[in-house]
Amino acid sequence: MKKLLNDSKKVASQYTTWVTFVGLLLLLSILTNGQALRWSSIRNLLIAESVRSFAALGVGMIIITKGIDLSIGYVVCLTASVAASFAQNPDYSSAIYAGQTFPLIVPIVAAVAAGGLFGLFNGYLIAYGKLPPFIATLGSMSIAKGLQLIYTKAAVVGSLNQNFKNISQGSVGPDPNLIIYVAIAALVVWILLKHTRQGTHFYAIGGNAQAARVSGINVERDLMMVYFYAGLLYGTAGTLLASRLGLANSLTANGMELDAIAAVTVGGVSQNGGVGKVSGMMVGVFTMGLINYGMSFLGVDSYYQQLVKGFIIIIAVYFDMKKYARRA
Amino acid sequence: MGRGRQMDTTFALEMEGITKTFPGVKALDGVTLRVKPGTVHALMGENGAGKSTLMKCLFGIYQEDSGIIKLNGKEHRFKDSHDALNQGVSMIHQELSNVPERSVAENLFLGREPLNKFGLIDHKKMNEDTRHLLKDLEINVKPEVRIGSLSISMQQTCEIAKAVSYNASVVVMDEPTSSLTDNEVKHLFKIINQLREQNVAVIYISHKMEEIFTIADEVSVMRDGQMIGSYDVADMTNEKLISLMVGRDAKLRFPEFKSNVGEVLLKVENLSSPNPRSFQDVSFEVHRGEILGIGGLMGAQRTELMEAIFGVRATKEGKIYVDGDEILNMTPRKAIEHGIGMITEDRRGSGIFPLMNISNNTSIASLKEYLNKLHLLKHKEMKEESVRYNKALRTKTPTMETLIQNLSGGNQQKVIISRWLMTLPDILIMDEPTRGIDVGAKYEIYQIMGQLVEQGKAIIMVSSEMPELIGMSHRVMVLCSGKCTGVLDKSECTQENIMRLATKFM
Repeated sequence: MKKLLNDSKKVASQYTTWVTFVGLLLLLSILTNGQALRWSSIRNLLIAESVRSFAALGVGMIIITKGIDLSIGYVVCLTASVAASFAQNPDYSSAIYAGQTFPLIVPIVAAVAAGGLFGLFNGYLIAYGKLPPFIATLGSMSIAKGLQLIYTKAAVVGSLNQNFKNISQGSVGPDPNLIIYVAIAALVVWILLKHTRQGTHFYAIGGNAQAARVSGINVERDLMMVYFYAGLLYGTAGTLLASRLGLANSLTANGMELDAIAAVTVGGVSQNGGVGKVSGMMVGVFTMGLINYGMSFLGVDSYYQQLVKGFIIIIAVYFDMKKYARRA
Repeated sequence: MGRGRQMDTTFALEMEGITKTFPGVKALDGVTLRVKPGTVHALMGENGAGKSTLMKCLFGIYQEDSGIIKLNGKEHRFKDSHDALNQGVSMIHQELSNVPERSVAENLFLGREPLNKFGLIDHKKMNEDTRHLLKDLEINVKPEVRIGSLSISMQQTCEIAKAVSYNASVVVMDEPTSSLTDNEVKHLFKIINQLREQNVAVIYISHKMEEIFTIADEVSVMRDGQMIGSYDVADMTNEKLISLMVGRDAKLRFPEFKSNVGEVLLKVENLSSPNPRSFQDVSFEVHRGEILGIGGLMGAQRTELMEAIFGVRATKEGKIYVDGDEILNMTPRKAIEHGIGMITEDRRGSGIFPLMNISNNTSIASLKEYLNKLHLLKHKEMKEESVRYNKALRTKTPTMETLIQNLSGGNQQKVIISRWLMTLPDILIMDEPTRGIDVGAKYEIYQIMGQLVEQGKAIIMVSSEMPELIGMSHRVMVLCSGKCTGVLDKSECTQENIMRLATKFM
């Protein structure tokens, strides 16, 4: 009996993320008489969390290397604005490039490139400039915000063409494209982290940078690349967000950095570096989504949602710290 | 120099039967130390003998597993260093432990700042008190100066002032002179004599014989976590002390191995560090099938030299040849490509990836060799190879998925050796390969080293343990203060010869 209890404790601590998610899901389905467990409900949840998934995958990799990225929200906002600016209807008089039509590829490439550039900028400052990630990305957060305001002249970038909107709003059969994009992104990041040399290096750098260096790992280059990859993901997130909303403005993706960091933290990516899985990141995103979604479903005031989210993050990190605490 | 006055018969400090075990190693084994008030009691022993661990137990930094600590005859058990300070035990640590951005006075009164009637810090009083203290000790520094702006030796002197300022009845000094000049050492001795006059018990840890004979009244010698004995310094000679420290006969047995020493694999010429206090103008060669031991005391810059050869540290001048080819701008990556591996001294700091499993810890330095056509990792083969090496080295672990942090020190070390063997090196640098490892595992590591040189590899072994240096090396190069003071052949390798070279500039 004692052994059983111990074993279940062990499983619970090893799979905190999953236990939390399944627990919440069950709780919600009981409270809603099973309505929350229908595919249509879950699909809504997936759609709502899709863009955040990209941000979470990006910052998840960064946190594995013991970094942090505060610039996510405004970089996504900037890339969404860039994407939107190349997808406006040519007859829209306030369009940034009024009268011009671009092939569908242009907004996508432009936004992803802008995200990638920001990633390289962050990565360079952190890896070679030796700036603390917190400070480097705090600076680039403000830079991204400034650029977005300058580029859009603080106006809404609206009236996007239908082809562009279809990127996010379209669907394959009953299932929206967004879910497929998320699945692809998660798969790519999983392969990167699990099956490539560089991915293994990310864990090594986060786990013990000095040991990584001694093991022949080019710590600086790999660090720069992790921010670059994250930037590409943010650029993709920006494109999808603009496409889904049909517009971009200076409030787009506000606060997404905190949501993404919270989600991967709940998903078991340790702030101490060196630990984290794609499955955990995704479950973390959906756990946070479930809290939002479930409480709205139950008609709980949104003010309380913030409160509950805050506690969930703190509890998740508390257990995380205990789990990996060094034995003295 | 006046020997201490004995005011009464009780000891200022008694530590009895102190035992402390770390995972996989018994650091202290029933150690007893008694120190009389008004005396300077030297504590000696080789690196790793347990001196610092014993002092950390005294100071509440470690909690001993068993044993009794008595202060002035009364039993005490310190919760932490703050508690120890309050009870009148202060310590000067080997490493500087100040807050560089704060003033001298703020550092001296850290944690016990005088407060005014509003409960705010009374800077004026703090500075005044500091000024008096420094004046009494004849230390010429202004209390308001930022401590980080002072020279290292002056900072060390301030730490001494701080330790004194607690009016402690026991003051521990752990290698206090390691960064002091001769004049400053004289000044320190003056302060120590003052303390002795004030009936304070001073525990003085040092490697430097000369200092012991100048300042100490009694000396206790430790070896392998045990107390060998306490003696009057007046009855001691240099030779006696050395033989007590190293032990008359090597307690450890070393495996037999027969290797053919072949051609030169690594040649280092006039290697100098950009830091003038670090290694300077060091040249040596290592041959195929040879173990070159590197001896020296703490601070001899052995690790720094090894790190420079492996490309972790910068060099200012000098050349490194591997197999006859000069390697420019060495980096760890280049070193690995040229068949050099390095097992670092600080297993926790630069060896293990604590949260990675055994398998990944083993393969991390050789991922390049396990890529398929798509440049993805061949996990299965990688794991099989990791298993193979760890099996050959007899790493004891429940599974290959166990996190390395859950293994004992000896097994962690075997995983790290496996990591480097997997890179198929010709030259293996092993910095303190058996530090913090128990006797049984040590022997196994010696066996592995023997097999490696029998296979024609070259090993450079930095070691602070005399028996290990003498028992394992074909030749021993000795460093002192960053300079090579000699290379001893197997026949000349005695503890006395090594110690003589290691203390040449002291």
